[in-house]
Amino acid sequence: MKIAVMLKQGPDLVEDLEVDASGKALASDDIKFKLNEFDDHALEEAILLKESGAADEVVAMAVEGKGADKILFTAIAKGADKAVKLNGGNPQDSHQLGKAFANALGSEGFDMVFTGVQSVDDRDGQLGPIVASYLDTPCVSVVSGVSVSGGTAAVYKEYSGGMMGEFEVDMPAVLGIQAAKQAPRYAPVSKIRQVQETASIEEVSMGDLGSGSRSSVASMAPPAKGSGAEMLDDVEELIEVLKDKGVI
Amino acid sequence: MGDILVITEHLKGEFQDITFEMLGKAKDLAGESGRQCVAITFGSMNGKSDELGVADSVISVGGSDDYNPESYAAAVQSVVSAKSPSLVLVGSTSMGMDIANSVATALDMPTVSYCVDVSAGSSGFSCTSSMYGGKMNVVTNVDGSALVMVLAGAFNADEGKSAESPAVEDFVAESGAGKIRFKQLIEPEAADVDITQSDILVAVGRGIGSKDDIKLAEELADILVADLACSRPLVDAGWMSKEHQVGKSGMKVKPKVYIALGISGAPEHIEGMKSSSTIIAINSDKNAPIFDVAHYGMAEDLFDVVEELVEELE
Amino acid sequence: MLSPNERIVFILLVVVCGILAFQGFNRVFKTVRCGADADRSDNLIGRFITALFDVFLQKSIKNARPIVSLFHSFIFYAFSFYLLVNVNDVLEAYVDGWTTLGSDNILANLFNLFADIFSVLVLVGMVFFLYRRFVQKPKVMEFNANVKLHPGVSAGGLKKDSLIVGIFILVHVGSRWLGTAIHLADNGNTDKWLPTASIISGLFSDWSPAALETGIHVTWWLAMGLIVLFIPYFPRTKHIHIMVAPVNLALGRKTHRGAMDGVSNPASPGARTLSDLPWPQVLDSWACIMCTRCHEVCPAHESGTSLSPSAMEINKRYFINEQGNSLFNGAADTALLDYAISDDAVWSCTTCYACVQVCPVGNEPMMDILELRRNEVYDAKMPDELADVLRSLDEQGNSFNESARRRSRWSRTLDFKLKDATKDPVKYLWYVGDFASFNQICQDTTRKVAEVLMVAGVDFGIMGKKEKSAGNDVRRVGEEGLFEVLVEQNIESIESCEFEEIFTTDPHTFNTLKNEYPEKGGNFPVKHYSTLLLELIKNGDIKLNKKLDIKATYHDPCYLGRYNGIYDDPRQVMKLCGVELVEMPRNKENSFCCGAGGGQIWLPDHDDMVQRPSENRIEEAVSVGVNHFTVACPKDMTMYSDAAKTSGNEDNMAVNDIVDFVLEAMDLPEQPMDETFSSDTEEAVSPDTLSEELNL
Repeated sequence: MKIAVMLKQGPDLVEDLEVDASGKALASDDIKFKLNEFDDHALEEAILLKESGAADEVVAMAVEGKGADKILFTAIAKGADKAVKLNGGNPQDSHQLGKAFANALGSEGFDMVFTGVQSVDDRDGQLGPIVASYLDTPCVSVVSGVSVSGGTAAVYKEYSGGMMGEFEVDMPAVLGIQAAKQAPRYAPVSKIRQVQETASIEEVSMGDLGSGSRSSVASMAPPAKGSGAEMLDDVEELIEVLKDKGVI
Repeated sequence: MGDILVITEHLKGEFQDITFEMLGKAKDLAGESGRQCVAITFGSMNGKSDELGVADSVISVGGSDDYNPESYAAAVQSVVSAKSPSLVLVGSTSMGMDIANSVATALDMPTVSYCVDVSAGSSGFSCTSSMYGGKMNVVTNVDGSALVMVLAGAFNADEGKSAESPAVEDFVAESGAGKIRFKQLIEPEAADVDITQSDILVAVGRGIGSKDDIKLAEELADILVADLACSRPLVDAGWMSKEHQVGKSGMKVKPKVYIALGISGAPEHIEGMKSSSTIIAINSDKNAPIFDVAHYGMAEDLFDVVEELVEELE
Repeated sequence: MLSPNERIVFILLVVVCGILAFQGFNRVFKTVRCGADADRSDNLIGRFITALFDVFLQKSIKNARPIVSLFHSFIFYAFSFYLLVNVNDVLEAYVDGWTTLGSDNILANLFNLFADIFSVLVLVGMVFFLYRRFVQKPKVMEFNANVKLHPGVSAGGLKKDSLIVGIFILVHVGSRWLGTAIHLADNGNTDKWLPTASIISGLFSDWSPAALETGIHVTWWLAMGLIVLFIPYFPRTKHIHIMVAPVNLALGRKTHRGAMDGVSNPASPGARTLSDLPWPQVLDSWACIMCTRCHEVCPAHESGTSLSPSAMEINKRYFINEQGNSLFNGAADTALLDYAISDDAVWSCTTCYACVQVCPVGNEPMMDILELRRNEVYDAKMPDELADVLRSLDEQGNSFNESARRRSRWSRTLDFKLKDATKDPVKYLWYVGDFASFNQICQDTTRKVAEVLMVAGVDFGIMGKKEKSAGNDVRRVGEEGLFEVLVEQNIESIESCEFEEIFTTDPHTFNTLKNEYPEKGGNFPVKHYSTLLLELIKNGDIKLNKKLDIKATYHDPCYLGRYNGIYDDPRQVMKLCGVELVEMPRNKENSFCCGAGGGQIWLPDHDDMVQRPSENRIEEAVSVGVNHFTVACPKDMTMYSDAAKTSGNEDNMAVNDIVDFVLEAMDLPEQPMDETFSSDTEEAVSPDTLSEELNL
């Protein structure tokens, strides 16, 4: 079974975020970007399936850009067999990104496509279901458990309140991963550097990106502070509040 | 003008709060813009359509009572194709994510995620999304037909309830290719504690730093006779078990007092606790989004505060 | 003196034992050669001469346990002399009429005197050692219950070995001494050159000549036969240290102790098996005298965890003995983690260097642990918390999971602006470091340093977000790749600045910048701030207007003291401020680690930790009767501030940085931080006023 994992970057939320001069986008010159947390889980789940023998090949895919190579080499260091970089375009939103991946995936013959359930900047929709729609394959989102037998997968979807729904899905299919069976593993930098020497990234054209989401940002701003929390100065004041609310 | 469509959500035979939250808002928007508010029910939920009185009418697509990403999306797609609504509201939930993206992409409709506010404009709507872990609000203007995913807790569920009974229309919808088959609903294991019933919760987030340090929060919880709760990352890391998880895929809690330690305030977590009567947040980052939803806050190191608090109370 | 038959038998004995010994020692040699490459061939003659002097003066053993070391030196000098004695005895056996007894030759008489006295010294020393191990049984010779031990060790192997060696020496030397007494009884009872033998020769005065003759032969055979028999036994006992230790000391690492060795094979870094270790590390297990000095000074072992560097070396040795020849015939594939040391122990090490410092035979157990870490990290096997910290360091250049852009936020509350060294030239580039920048307790100290330098008119600047963690501890947890990335980026940032010198308050930062960055292309002059403060005080830029009348103790940070030999600068700074320095028993190179190094500050306390090393140290300070514990390192500041509280000494032990004293002694007109140190000589300081006044 061949699994493709779609990887994307987003701003590191540890940063202080600011709006740029246009008032419509993040000021992104100074901030660090990193692999989307849920995509890391998607990659981990794929590699775990490979380690258990359920999958034969894991292919990591990402769109070109600053940091794309590092993400792909890191994926190989973690256990992916191959890395593919999509070039020749600049996707502006989830729809264009989805088109790019769909174009590349279409010809490859995958049994499963994993990606993170959502990302920090996917305002116009989540990548997994969008790609599934373009490829006309079934998709289940918010998945936190996958096992495979024969040509179908048993997939566990998270609902609220700790409940889960078990589904049987025919492959090929796309899954939006919420959590892998274990936390994403660490990829030692020493190993990533080794991989950089020995492995190579295949480049593939992303093709026609279509017109995108047909919706654009009108403005961006931090949430109004207005009626925020009443800030307390010390533990004495906190104790007063707790007394007041009947806690102590 | 097209209707405002609300995709209802149900689990185990009951409509979820998100349904009423969306209905309330849809009714508002419909009234403002002279449109109709229409709810879509699945399976036998049409039997409870009198709970959806806020809507002007209900469309029952039938099909299975158990949620299925494929058949539910196909059904919704049929309805949207047929009715050409000007706005479709779906929950930004496990169910909503499947349906919204699938329908919108197939019908080439604009989508807006993580919506916390919608207002009617001159010809279309203006949607505000909470992005980047809650650190930024992004406004999207949409003309024509658009699909909006609404964050749980963004609107008031009470405004979506009324005593009226709407008219119900049966609709024969597509049911999809049958490539996804529902097997079973899995209830969570019997938990030691049901935090949805707790009066006081002491919740820990990533700021706690290590599994060991949770002991400090436990001490506080003991003294306050409170239960422990946590955000999703701690469950993923194996530091706490799932029955303590508050948030989108965890529990929705409404305690009298919710003390959030080292929790940044990402929307997925806020969803689970914003209905708490009093929220007290302690986070060393004074810009953390949690302070927007908390009633009281301290921008201090949580260890200093909790240690001192525990000392004073002992 | 021996009969012709005896002479033949002895020669045969020598030949047989010689062959066995050759095989045994050959195995030692081949085992050591199993290890990975290491080049210790530089200046061989100089190395051996230094080592021989070291051994002759017993320098390396004096580091610890003074009384034991004294007894050991008895045995050492005696045994060294006994080489001559054995030669003399063989001559006596084979050359008719050869004897040193009853001679006029002064050399012969001196020989007799030394032989006599040394024999007794050896016997006394041996009795003391056997008493110590079997009767007194000091706790320090025990391993914590959770330490991994080779089955042979758990079965009492160390005691057995000590007993065998002890008995051999007692019999060998004892027989020889008795034999001399019997000779005297044979020749005339006393000889002033053989005082002790003369005393006991009386016991044999009424023996018949035949009995005396028998006695002489028997004692000769016991003495000489035993030693010949013992020679092939050496490879099976720790007693082989008499031969291996000088070699181990001669071939030790001569590179700076603060610079780790590079990774020889990036595709498979570090060590998993014995043969992955560089050969000097294998030689260590042969040199090991199994004395447990190393775990006595190890903060991890002392605090109750499963790490005993001593057990590790001993386990390696027992494994080698057990494996025999299969070791170098391809069976050397067993993981060290299976028999030598547990995974938990590997991750308990604070890299304080105390075990290397104290070892009398030149072993470096810590190096094994560092290589094991490298190997584990390459396979992403490490405590989970560590992975999170490494990710933070990779993504944001600091271990606090904070945005890099917040690195200089500590300076916002100063009432002056700091120079940006990446934009303007400065005289001193201040490399602030992670802890000094982000840890709230440390930030106070950082601000005080800034203030002191500002008032002193020093031209300095910081790099702000361009500065990343220098990487000292990243390297020491085994992430060589991340270390290299950080070094590259930091060198680039530093080179973009114009400056004369770098200074830092963090000894870890100081250590790597000074000793490891040059090899990677970053050769910058760097000093610790204690050195800078001293210079500024001496040249008058910092004016000390008030003498602080307090008593304080000073804690030598591992990476400043033991690693880099800087002990006096901070002490001088304190003294110039008028502080009376009271030393703790474990001071200077014997300083006891706070427990933060080697990544420990990023990890939760070990489950079996009985008492934190930092709490142990605070108690040591309490025991010398001071109320002020002085540090010169941000990690020490945070560790000891915490330990003062958790050990219940919050009200009687204030933790100060040396800059606190400087600032106070400067007696500036408007103090932003209201601190007054009350004089220790005035009425007893009440606990409340102490903590209040110190404004901690």
